[in-house]
Amino acid sequence: MAYFLNNLFIVILPICITVIVTLAITVIFKTSYTTNFAQGVISAFGAYVAAKCLNSAGLSIWLAVPIGAVAAMAIAIFVDVVIFRRGRYVNGLGKQIITMGLISIIVGATPLIFGAQTPKFGKFVEGNQSFTVGGEQVTVTNNALVCLGITIAIVVLIFVLLRYSKWGLSVRATASNEYVAEMVGINTHIVTAISWGLAGALGAFAAAMAASNSTEISHVYIMTNYQVNAFLAGILGGFATFYGPVVAAILIPLASSLITWFGNTVGIPSLSGWAMVIVYALSLIAIFFKPQGLFGKRTVKKV
Amino acid sequence: MAKIFDKLTARLIETRLLKARQSREWTDTELSELPVMQERKTASRLSAKQKSLNNRLKASAFKACDKEEYIDELLSDKLRRYDVRHFMSYRAAYHSAAKAVFKAQKNGEDHDAALDALAQKTAALDGKRVEYIAKLEEQKKKFLEQNPASDDAEYQALKEACEKEFDEYKAETEKRGAEYVERRTAKLRSKREKYEAKEKELRAKVKSDIELPDDVLLRVENLKMYFGGLKAVDDLTFDVKAGEIFGLIGPNGAGKTTVFNCITRFYNATGGNMYFRNKDGEAIDLRRFKVHDVILEGISRTFQNVELVREISVLENLLVACTRNYRSGMFVQALGIPTVRREDDILKSKAMGILKFMGLENYAAWPAMGLPYGILKKVEIARALMANPKLIILDEPAAGLNNTETAALADTIVKIRDEFGCAVFLVEHDMSLVMSICDRILAISFGKTLAIGTPREVQSDKAVQEAYLGVSDDQDEPAAEEKTDAAEEQPDATSGEEHDATEEKADAASVEEPTEKADKNAESPKKTVAPKKPAAAKRAKKTKEGE
Amino acid sequence: MKGYLLKNYGLNKSPLAPSRLTLGLKRVIKNPMYYFIIFGIIMLIIGNLSVKKVLPYSLSTGLATTFAYSIASVGFCLLMGYSGLASLGTGGFIGIGTYSIYYVMTVANLPFIFALVAAVGIAVVIGAIVGFISLRIEGIYLCILTLGLSEILRNLFVVLQDTIISSKFYLFGNSVQRSSGIFIVTVALVIVMIITQNIINSPTGRAMLAMKNSTSAAQAMGVSLMKYRLTAFIICTVYASLTGIMLMIVIRAAQASNSAGFYALITSLNILAAVIIGGYRSVWGAVFGTFIMYGLQTVLLSRVQFFVDNPVVITFISGILVILVVMFYPGGAAQLVREAKNGIKKLIRKIKECRYGKDI
Repeated sequence: MAYFLNNLFIVILPICITVIVTLAITVIFKTSYTTNFAQGVISAFGAYVAAKCLNSAGLSIWLAVPIGAVAAMAIAIFVDVVIFRRGRYVNGLGKQIITMGLISIIVGATPLIFGAQTPKFGKFVEGNQSFTVGGEQVTVTNNALVCLGITIAIVVLIFVLLRYSKWGLSVRATASNEYVAEMVGINTHIVTAISWGLAGALGAFAAAMAASNSTEISHVYIMTNYQVNAFLAGILGGFATFYGPVVAAILIPLASSLITWFGNTVGIPSLSGWAMVIVYALSLIAIFFKPQGLFGKRTVKKV
Repeated sequence: MAKIFDKLTARLIETRLLKARQSREWTDTELSELPVMQERKTASRLSAKQKSLNNRLKASAFKACDKEEYIDELLSDKLRRYDVRHFMSYRAAYHSAAKAVFKAQKNGEDHDAALDALAQKTAALDGKRVEYIAKLEEQKKKFLEQNPASDDAEYQALKEACEKEFDEYKAETEKRGAEYVERRTAKLRSKREKYEAKEKELRAKVKSDIELPDDVLLRVENLKMYFGGLKAVDDLTFDVKAGEIFGLIGPNGAGKTTVFNCITRFYNATGGNMYFRNKDGEAIDLRRFKVHDVILEGISRTFQNVELVREISVLENLLVACTRNYRSGMFVQALGIPTVRREDDILKSKAMGILKFMGLENYAAWPAMGLPYGILKKVEIARALMANPKLIILDEPAAGLNNTETAALADTIVKIRDEFGCAVFLVEHDMSLVMSICDRILAISFGKTLAIGTPREVQSDKAVQEAYLGVSDDQDEPAAEEKTDAAEEQPDATSGEEHDATEEKADAASVEEPTEKADKNAESPKKTVAPKKPAAAKRAKKTKEGE
Repeated sequence: MKGYLLKNYGLNKSPLAPSRLTLGLKRVIKNPMYYFIIFGIIMLIIGNLSVKKVLPYSLSTGLATTFAYSIASVGFCLLMGYSGLASLGTGGFIGIGTYSIYYVMTVANLPFIFALVAAVGIAVVIGAIVGFISLRIEGIYLCILTLGLSEILRNLFVVLQDTIISSKFYLFGNSVQRSSGIFIVTVALVIVMIITQNIINSPTGRAMLAMKNSTSAAQAMGVSLMKYRLTAFIICTVYASLTGIMLMIVIRAAQASNSAGFYALITSLNILAAVIIGGYRSVWGAVFGTFIMYGLQTVLLSRVQFFVDNPVVITFISGILVILVVMFYPGGAAQLVREAKNGIKKLIRKIKECRYGKDI
């Protein structure tokens, strides 16, 4: 039981990061009709800015991370306004390739701006919470709990905004059909720009969480794995809804942790290495049988 | 277990039969194209020979020609080039003079100086030209001195020899070509017999219990196609006879294209039977075939919006329809073995024949992208013809064409029927086209039969008039109210739209959803709209007639 | 003169009959297959000179890497330009090649041919799986799904053995040096290019194009979606695994968990970008694009001091280049060459007009 709980608490942080990244990717997918491959590096850029504020300016982490988020937001908005608004008639694949060009640009620019060494990063809160369950000690870091709190706050805020605010309505309208939305008087340019900015800021928070876990930013590709998981979560949950990807994003790290736990309980510790392989395979099978995602709806194709 | 085994063996025999049939068809194509290709080859060989003979003649032709005339033309050509080269200098001179004159006039000065300068310049240029002409004259003199007068006899002798040689060569080539064709034909014939025997043997093993009258090509029985709860096609029954032009008409959303898609297996019909007499005269059950196999049985279709491959030429587009006819496999193609090119040549010859028939031979090498819409529509029909079909399905062939083009299209369709011996099954909104060329017409509305018969019968049918063509103004409400079932079917513009909307709704609805709700959805517009219809319906009818 | 003889004697324009030599040359110029062979010979000569240190040595390594990746790009060009499908699984598929050569040659000590068979066999199976998936899922979703598949393969490699090194490589019993890898890679690339060009010009290529334009029209014309999608993906996967083999010959070491390594997402994206830059329906374009992405740095820019000091600038510039090409020049380098050709033709005609007047 204690072992199970420990396992569960370790996976809190990955779940938080994946959920936030998934949310960012979904928002961009809904408004710009593309999968943003550059999400990871834009987020990492935000984390780099935060690290710079932490190390050079000596700011507190609670101030540095929002500054990083603003930086990432600025970059994302810049990308939308300068590139995507002009490339509106580029086809879907072209947009994807533009985002991958962005990866190269940011990967190239980051060392030029911040230098080649890996910057240190602090935790949000130091210390552990530990308690005993069934005579065994269970530990959870304060950092993970704080991240969980931030994540829940962000997710709730965004869903409330999407459901009840005017911006949310515009986003949903744009997601359903950009041209019709434009026709009924929604300024889709602003909606898309805000969505990109939001995605950039969210990504920076996620990257900061990832960095706070390892106390340094090891390289620019720090978010790539989370991003891959987020994409998979997106189609596993179905991009048709907002909640689908988020649920899937919780499921993927959780399932991998559960497989590790199961392997150790049954007595196959080597299963932990295969956890991700099994999770991916299961998701692929699920997508194969439900191409529209777990929460998506099936449509009849017209000839 | 035994049943499964039986099924598998039956399947195996069927595939083998298909293979044998395709081989036989291929030899047929080769047989029919062989003389055409040989002719083309002979012609190209002859023209090459002619070219080489001409080249041999050239030297003596020079000797034979009138030297003075020859040099005159040469030199005049030179002079013209000289003029073109020096045109700019004259222009510059005039330009600068004009500038000077304007400037002088502006300043109120005398502009004679400028004109003088111009005269000088042009005189200089003229002088140069005269010099050049003198040079040319000198050249001419030299040339005439060097080359003595014409010697026609030698040229004539050589020319006769060449002509004789050409005739001999021609006779020989043609003879050789004929021999080759004969040899190859004999070989192909024997091959064909072998394939035929095999086919017969295999066909004896296949038992078919479908009964189809001899003159019926396609029989559709109780065809049903439901999307969720929406009944796009409901209990449709009709026959298409061999060699007839059969029209399918109906208002928007009546399910015409759905019928096509069921026949060509894009949709898996909810219920009903479709039987077809295929290329070999065998009755088959279409429901057992996959989409991409239907064309092999002899049904080919065109699309509402032109669906050609934009990147490749018109000729290659026609070859796409023959993808299944190639005898060489993918590995042979990847390795670039010459057999593929030979097969390509045979099919290209066939495609050129069809393009010529459609009057498109000049467009053969053009890329399909950027050709006018009318041409593209024709190309699509040509592509459908490439598959040697027994039945051609045309989905709105006249959409987007003007009146002249439509008239031409009507002729073409009739010609296709007569020339290729295939039946034509078409959906069309252009009533003049349908009424003029169709042998029989089926009118449907909301997936149900309204009338079937000759154009005249269908035209005079009341239900059709009311449902499709609209009630004329003097024959208003009372008549409509009398015929209740006709009123139920009355589709006007608004209900048509609603129909589309419900269709979309039903499309979007998940399959697991209970069908009752969707059923209600589908039926409710009819029931609710029908009572309060008259005013709206009348307006809509008027607009429709206006169209 | 010409006009006179034509008018009076019915003679053709050309003053001389084309000789056999010019006819033969014309046939060579008109057949694209010979270009591939000429290209291969030139590259072999350059490689030889560079291995012998006549030309700088870095040239051979740069070209070898480029050509190795080019094999995957050519396959991807067939997949994207002709079948209209896209995949982000190239990285994982490359891994199939590297790991099969590692396990067969270094661990099991078997000859090269077994490694080749194993790599191609596994690639065929994986390609068939992706092909089946592509029948149900299309577009961006398929991209992400192949990305997932690639991640499965990568994680599998991490679990199997993270870092692989095959220090020795034997071909027909002879040990092959790392430096002479360029010869094998060039020959492989030329063969792959010829095969791909054949497929493109064959009925298979036309069927694929039809499928790309409209699946329903293609099906109505007798093109089986399953057959051709499976074929396209199998070709793409097999080529990618060949790339893996070639990379192993050239580089000899790989690390699966490296997030900028062979099997990572970045490789798949780079191949995609290479095909886009080169023009996605041209085999030559694919090779050129791969050179921009992988070869430019080692071959050319390493001579400039500025780029040696700041190697990241190249990544930066390549990113900008990709975006510019996609936004303003979707046809890529192939379109540039085509337009340049037309431009030169037009220029020549203009000059002629200027010299001889319009009616000539």
